[in-house]
This record gives sequence, structure tokens and C-alpha cells, in this order.
Amino acid sequence: MTQLVGLIPLFPLIGFLVIGLWQKKFPGIFSGILASVLVALSFIISAGIFFTLPTSPVTVDIFDWIVCGSFSAKMSFYIDPVSSVMLLIVTGVGLLIHIYSIGYMKNDEGFARFFSYMNLFVFFMLLLVLGSNYLVMYAGWEGVGLCSYLLIGFWFKNTEYNHAANKAFIVNRIGDLGFVLGIILMFLNFGSISFDQVFSSASHMPHNQPVMVTITLLLFVGAIAKSAQIPLYTWLPDAMAGPTPVSALIHAATMVTAGVYMIVRSNIIYSLAPFTLHIIAIIGLATALFSATIALAQTDIKKVLAYSTVSQLGYMFVALGVGAYSSALFHVTTHAFFKALLFLAAGSVIHAMSGEQDIRNMGGLRKKLPITFLVFGAGTLAISGVPPFSGFFSKDEILAKTYLQSPFMFIVLSITSVLTAIYMFRLFFLTFYGTFRGNREQEHHLHESPPVITIPLVILAILSTLGGFLGMPSILSSHHFFDTFLSPSIAPGTLAGSGEVSHTFEWTVVAVSVLVLAAVIIWLYSRYQTRGNVPPQEEASFTPAYRVLNHKYYIDEIYDTIIVKPLYGLGVVFWTLVDNRLVDGVVTGINKGVLYSSQMLRRVQTGNIGFYIFVMVFGIIALLIFNLVL
Amino acid sequence: MVTLIILAGLGLISLFSEIFSFRKILYPLILAGLAAAFVANITDWNTGGAIFNNMMHSDHFSVAFNGVLIATAFFWFLVSPGYFHDPTNRTDHFSLLLFSLTGATLLTSFSNMIMLFLGIEILSISLYVLAGSKKQDLASNEAALKYFLIGSFTTGFLLFGMALLYGASGSFNLEAISRFIANNQGQGNVLVYTGVILMMSALAFKVSATPFHFWAPDVYQGSPTVVTSFMSTVVKTAALAAFLRLFMYCFGTINGFWSGGIEIIAAASIIIGNLTAIFQDDFKRMIAYSGVSHAGYMLLAILAMNNSSASSLLYYSAGYSLSLLVAFSALLLVAKATGAETISAFNGLAKRNPLLAGITIIAMLSLAGIPPTAGFFGKYYIFSAALKSNYTGLVVLAVFGSLVGVLYYFRVIIVMFREGSDTRPVVASPGERIYLLLIAFLILFIGVWPGYLVSLL
Repeated sequence: MTQLVGLIPLFPLIGFLVIGLWQKKFPGIFSGILASVLVALSFIISAGIFFTLPTSPVTVDIFDWIVCGSFSAKMSFYIDPVSSVMLLIVTGVGLLIHIYSIGYMKNDEGFARFFSYMNLFVFFMLLLVLGSNYLVMYAGWEGVGLCSYLLIGFWFKNTEYNHAANKAFIVNRIGDLGFVLGIILMFLNFGSISFDQVFSSASHMPHNQPVMVTITLLLFVGAIAKSAQIPLYTWLPDAMAGPTPVSALIHAATMVTAGVYMIVRSNIIYSLAPFTLHIIAIIGLATALFSATIALAQTDIKKVLAYSTVSQLGYMFVALGVGAYSSALFHVTTHAFFKALLFLAAGSVIHAMSGEQDIRNMGGLRKKLPITFLVFGAGTLAISGVPPFSGFFSKDEILAKTYLQSPFMFIVLSITSVLTAIYMFRLFFLTFYGTFRGNREQEHHLHESPPVITIPLVILAILSTLGGFLGMPSILSSHHFFDTFLSPSIAPGTLAGSGEVSHTFEWTVVAVSVLVLAAVIIWLYSRYQTRGNVPPQEEASFTPAYRVLNHKYYIDEIYDTIIVKPLYGLGVVFWTLVDNRLVDGVVTGINKGVLYSSQMLRRVQTGNIGFYIFVMVFGIIALLIFNLVL
Repeated sequence: MVTLIILAGLGLISLFSEIFSFRKILYPLILAGLAAAFVANITDWNTGGAIFNNMMHSDHFSVAFNGVLIATAFFWFLVSPGYFHDPTNRTDHFSLLLFSLTGATLLTSFSNMIMLFLGIEILSISLYVLAGSKKQDLASNEAALKYFLIGSFTTGFLLFGMALLYGASGSFNLEAISRFIANNQGQGNVLVYTGVILMMSALAFKVSATPFHFWAPDVYQGSPTVVTSFMSTVVKTAALAAFLRLFMYCFGTINGFWSGGIEIIAAASIIIGNLTAIFQDDFKRMIAYSGVSHAGYMLLAILAMNNSSASSLLYYSAGYSLSLLVAFSALLLVAKATGAETISAFNGLAKRNPLLAGITIIAMLSLAGIPPTAGFFGKYYIFSAALKSNYTGLVVLAVFGSLVGVLYYFRVIIVMFREGSDTRPVVASPGERIYLLLIAFLILFIGVWPGYLVSLL
């Protein structure tokens, strides 16, 4: 089965080429069906690999990619529990989102182009998770960045969207630079970039060696940008400009978790640099809390979900920072389910509302969109961590592992958890309860989405509900499937919770969290349903705190003032003085000189044979004098 | 040896086809014969050695270059037959071309000065006639006469140089001359040195390097386009192979003496060739001048005198020949539609025949040395060979020269996208389309996988 792994990325690549090259020729929704079938084929092989997984990691060589002196990078794939879980997420969730998109994008003129980009994205994402060395991973890493750019700016006629796409791309370049420097340093240090060799030579090194700390920090810079952590998170909310399925696939379920995957993959070298792990935990914690507060005051349905994604990614980084790699990957999995679900359900709402995204203009949709309402509810319960929905298990696990490391972080994370429930239920109640606040036309148009949209939603809702049972906490079951499954890929002794939390403590946490959640839900229900509270439309009626949160702490404006504007200023200086005057002057000068001498030289060609022969003889004499006399 | 016999025999058969009236099947016969010659040539790879009483020496160098020459000629025959409308003259032209090719193969495998002379003469005399083969055209006649006059003039230099070398060493055999030179290095033998300079000048004429290049623009422009195409590909490759073979393997021990001269010739060719090509309106004149600069680049391989000289020259000439074949075929088709052979005849080609425009772009990119075409790697290998032998200054000059080259090669590309007054479609027959696609594919193929050719030598 593992030998077939080469086919997994091949199918979407074929899809990209075929659909991309002949996009004008395919009738109707054919390209969408083709793209979905190809991803389905990849999913089937991924599932086959998952169920017949060999006990030790396997590397499958496809071809020699770059061989140059002592440097060699093979195009080869690495199959172990971690990559096989990611394979299932990428192809499985990817498949559902592809099917959903057939319905969602049906009337878009760029239908075929959309699916060619989507398949290209799946190809690069698979390259990223399958690569057996850092260079293949980097190729996938860059590729998904490219696809993200293409898809954010998918509706390229809108200038705003193009700006959002540029922002995502440019911010990611910063991270990519760190990533590539990390890879170079790794090659200089270990003489190799393949996982096997790096990990085996790293494992003999002492802890916190400066070079290891540098490598891990540089790689982490890449993860910060890709996974939208402080200070490089600002691109992700803007990335919501893309079509909703893109937000679900790329900016919630898969690409943004690439940073988490990369660190889980490199857990052996990260465990050797506890200093880096501390930094990761701090940044993750700050991001989780910070973006959760922003989400409290957003009114765009996708923006709330975007900040929630940033916040949940922060959770995962906290887990990584405390060394709970498998918990982080567990949360990646459950998050992929429920966040994809929430985005797609939001898409269904937007679809029904004729493109409206402001929750202040929604309300009371539960009667008109019963299926969407139910699945969105399941997603909300899951992300808020209500037992027994999947988010409860993965969050609970991260909380427990964090408590073992630092009670302070545990408290902050718990607060974040409560905030999550608040902004999610605020969103949920404002959208589905109360009375309808949109205009007449929208009300008239309200309808439940067709099955091609609702069926993927229902499947994702089931996964979000039950997915948590993959990793039951020890109070409920002695068998933690996820931990055991991943253990071959996680460095021994790095699993946090070498000391378990006591069962009494865990039960207390569960009980308290359920009570707090119940209180939050009741409070929000009365606030939005019973009293019909709606966030104010006018900026003047904002309370000061609400205004700050609504403006996202003015971070975009601050970045603009201290980084973007000075850079533009510098650009203007270089453009007018250095480029226009100096460089262009020199270039045109040379150009003029070349043209002038060309004009002069043409005149030598007279057409007169006598002259030609004279020059030849002259040349020979000159050569003879040059060589024999001088 | 078999290769040579097949090629000469093919030439004779072309002549006989008129008498025994089987000229209808002559064309396929020639293609088959060339294919057979190619195969026969390859089978010589490991069975080399002295042949014809040590007049010639078959080795990896000669087999590889013969392969490129025969393949180029084969492609030439694929794309050019339609040009000879008159069926009677056609057989004569074919036989002349085949004899010329025979001369070219002598130039890659000679081990005796006499064979070098014979090769050059067989190659050239056929071409003198071919250059004038458009009998009614004044320019064609002028080209033939000019080519002949200057060519015979330089043959004099060649013979004089050989005579001087014979006078010094008492032999025409390359090995004997090489031994003599090696044994008498310190004595500053004026006969040898003068002979070497004279032969250098004669060969520089054949490869059209400055200051012996003046014939090229006039002859290239005046000759029928297919003949120009043959001259600038097969003839140039053969002449450069002879140049390398003679100077590296025979005069190699005194390279300190002659390298200065070639340095000057190469530098002058790069400067003069590139600069004069800029303002040419006639496509063939532009190619002629740019051919001067390409000769300059290729001389760097001879200057380098190291183990990558031969392989880089082989690769460069293969890429250069393929690109020029495409360029000239495109010119033929464009000229057929518009009646002009100027660069502006390509106006709007992107609309008039997108496929042809695309293929021409590949050829132009290759000539300009843009990756991933063969032209880029050809330059890369030659420049890096020259750098290995510390010709940094010359390589810098060559790189600047290539930059100037972009100017006039891209002019052709730009013109293709300009809206012209002439919107008549440029027609290419299905066969021509397939052959041109095949050659364009080869340009890209050896550009992406240069190892197959470079590792030969």
C-alpha cells in the first residue's frame, strides 16, 4: 500500500493541469466533479495507507530532485502516523469541501479556474505533509502560500480582495524567509536536510545548544506566519476575502495548521531546545487570548470565525510549547472538523442571505435554514468545548497538559476557553435566533441550501460531534487511541504528562467548565434571544472597550504607520533618486553608447571586396606582429 | 569510415538519379541514407582508430561531431525541400549539399593536413556553387562571387601555413607535427609560428570571426535562405570542430603562443558582431552578424584548452544549429507569405500563425541564451570552461555581448506581437509544423537535460 503513496499528490496535480489547461472547454459543473473525483481517489489511497500503516516509518523515493555536490534532496515521501493523519485530514476534509464547492460556486464564472486552484492547493498541501525532507516540505509550504494568494484574490476584479491577497502573500514571505534560513542552517550544521538524518544526528546533542535554538526559532518564524500567530496574524482575517470554501479548506482546516504540523514533525529537534518551546508557548498563549477578545466585537460572520481560528491555532501552539505534541495534532484534527463545518455552514448562511455577511442584518434564521442551523449548532458546541463534542476532548487534553507545566498558563487558557464560548454563542444566537433584521428582498430570497451543500455539512457535523472519541481522557478510558497511534513518531520522554493530572482534579475541571459554559449560554440566550440585543450599527454608540475590540486594537493601523508607510517612503526615495536618476541614467547611457557605436560600425561594411581583403590582410599582419615581434 | 562512404555515395546517387530517372524517390532515399549514416557513425563509437592509411582518425570527438553534423543535415533536409521548386536543379543541389556534408565530416576526423585541406575545399566549393544557385538573382550571383574570391584568397593562407609547417617539421601528419612542436618548443621556430598564425587566420575566416567576417553578411544575405541555413549550421559547426581539433590536439603544446591571437579574434568578434547586428533590418544579415559573435563565444572553448572544451563546443554547436534551423525555416515561411526577408516581415506573426510564432520564440530565446533552452546551457558550459582556464575578462565581455544579443533577438519577438499592416496568414504545411515542433522540442529537451550531450566527450 505504501508504494502507492506517489499517487496521492499525483491525482490533484493531474486535476490542476487538466482543468487549468482546458478550463474553457469543460461544460457546466464537470470540472468540479472531476476535481472532486480526483481528490476522492487520493482520499481512498490515504485511507488505505492509514489502515495498513507499517510499524516503523517508511520513506518512499520518487526521484532524485536536486543533486549538487554533497547536497542532495530526493523527491521522496515519508509515511508515519503523523503524516498519515494529516493525509486523511487534507484529502478527507478537502474532498467534502470540494463537493460543497460544486454547489457553492455553481454560478461563478471562474468555476473551472476555482477548481484548478483548489486541486493545485491539495497537491501542494500533500507535498507539504508527505515530504521526507525539509526541502520538499518547503516546496509544499511555498506552493500552498501561492494557492492561498490565488484563491484569496480569486475575485480579482475587486481591488480590496487583491490587497488582501497581497497582504497574505507578503506577510507569509517574512515567515518563509525564516523557514528557509532555518533549513540552510540545518544543512550547514547536520550536512543533510532529510528528516531521518537530521533527527538521528540531533538526538545526540545536548539541550539548548545555541545552534539548535537558532534553527528551531527560525523554523518557528515560518510557522508564525503560516499559522497566523502574533505578530504576523493580521493577514488571516483579511484572507476571508476569498470564497468561503477557501476559508474553510485553506484558512481553517489545513494550510494554517501547517506550522503546527511542521513542529510536530520536528518534535525531536524542538525537544532539544526547551528555550524555543517556552517562546512558542508564550506566543501561542498571547495569540489565543488576544484574538479571542477581538472576536468578541466583530460583526462579520466570517471575521468572527477567522479570529476564532487564530485563537484556536494559539491553543495548538501552547500545546506544542508544553511538549504535548500529540495533543496539538489531536486539536488540529478536531479543529479541522468543526472549523471547516462552521465556515461551510457560514457559507450556507451567506448563500441564503444573498451575500450578506453582517450578523447585525441576520437573525431568526433557524426556521428557514433548519439543517444549517443544526450543523452550525453542533460546530458551536464543539468549538466551545461542551462535552461530549469533539472540541471538549482536545481542549481538555491541552488544558490538562498545560496545567502540569504551568498553572498560570492553565488559567489564561481557561479564560480564553470561556471567551471562545462567549463569541461563538453570540454569533450563533445573533444569526439563528431573534427576529430577522435583513431587508425584504433578502427575506424573500431566504432558502435552505441544496443537498450538495448540506450533505458535506452533515458529514462534518457528525465528525465534529464524535471525533473527540479518538482521544478519550484517562478519566473515561484507559486507552487513548490518538496518543498510542502517534507514539512512534514522537520522541520518547517528550510527551508532557509524564506525570498525569490527578483524576479528582480533572473531574473538577470538567464540572466547573460545564457549569461555566451553561452559565454563558444562558446569559447570552437571554441577552440576544429574550431581550433581542443587537450590536450597535453606529460607531458613535460604541462603548470605548467595544470600539477598541471592534477595531482589532488598531493593530493594522499601527503596522501601517510604523512599517508599511516608512517602507513606501523608502521606496519612493529609491525609485525617484536611485532608480530613475542613477540606475536609469547609467542604463540609458550604456544603451545610447551601444547604439551609437553600432551606427558607426555598420559603415565599415562597404560591400567592396577589395576593402574586405585589405582588412583581412591587415588583420593577419597585425596578428603576426602581435605574436612574433611583440 | 562507413559513414564517409555512405555520404559520398549518397551524393553520387543524387547525380545519377537524373540519368536513371528515379528522382521522385530521391528525397526519401536521401533521408534514409542520412539516417543510415547516422547509425553507421554511432557504431564507430568504440571501434575508432586510424583509417585510410592514417589520413584520418576516428575517435569520440569525431563521432560526436559527425553525429551533430549529420543530424543537423537530416533536419535541414526535413524542413527545406520545398524550396527547390525546379526538379532538375534539385538533384544537383542535393548532391552538392551532400558533398559539402562529406567535406564537413572530413573536418572532424582529419589526422593529416592534406585531409584538412581536402575537407575545407570539398565543403567550400560546393557552397560557392550553392550560394549562386538562384541564377536569375543578382544578389545571389554577387554572393557566390564574393564568397568564392575571398574563400580562395584564404585558401591561399591555409596552404601557405601548411607549407610552412611542413617546411619546419617535414610532415603533414598531425601527430608528427605535434611531436616536432613539442620537441622544439624553446627555439622560437619562426616557420612554425608563422604557419600557425596563417592557419588560424584561414580557419577564422571559415568560422566568420572578426576581422575575417566581412564576407558573411553579404553572402548570407545574397544566398538562397536554405543555403544560408546550411552554411550557418553545418559549415560553422564543422569549421569550429576543425579549429578545435587542430589547435587543441596538434598545436596544444604552444598554446601560450597562439592564445593571444585567438583572444583578440574572439573579443573583436563578440564586440563587432553584436554591435553591428543591432541595426540590421535584413533578417539574414542580422543572423550573419550575430553568427560572428557566436563564433567569438565558441572560440572561448578553444582558448580554454581543458577537458570540457570539446564537450562544451559540441553542446553549443548542437543548440546553435537547431535554433538557427528553426529561425531560417520560420523566415522561409514568412518570406513565402510576405515576399520580404526583413525582420519587419515577422510583423504580427503571433496572430498570423501562433504556432510558428511560438516556435520562433523558442529559437530566439535559445539564440539569446535564455534558460531553459539549449542556448543558455551552451553559453554556460563554454563560459565555465573558459573561467576554469582563467579567462575571466573575456568571459565578462562575452556576458555583456550576450546582453546586447538580447536586444536584437528580442526585436524579432517584439515585432511578432506588433500589429502590422500585413495580416495575411502565414501558412505552414502539416509536415513543416511537425518538423518544426520536433526541433523546438529538441532545443528544449537538450536544454533541460544537457547531460546527454555534454557527457559524450
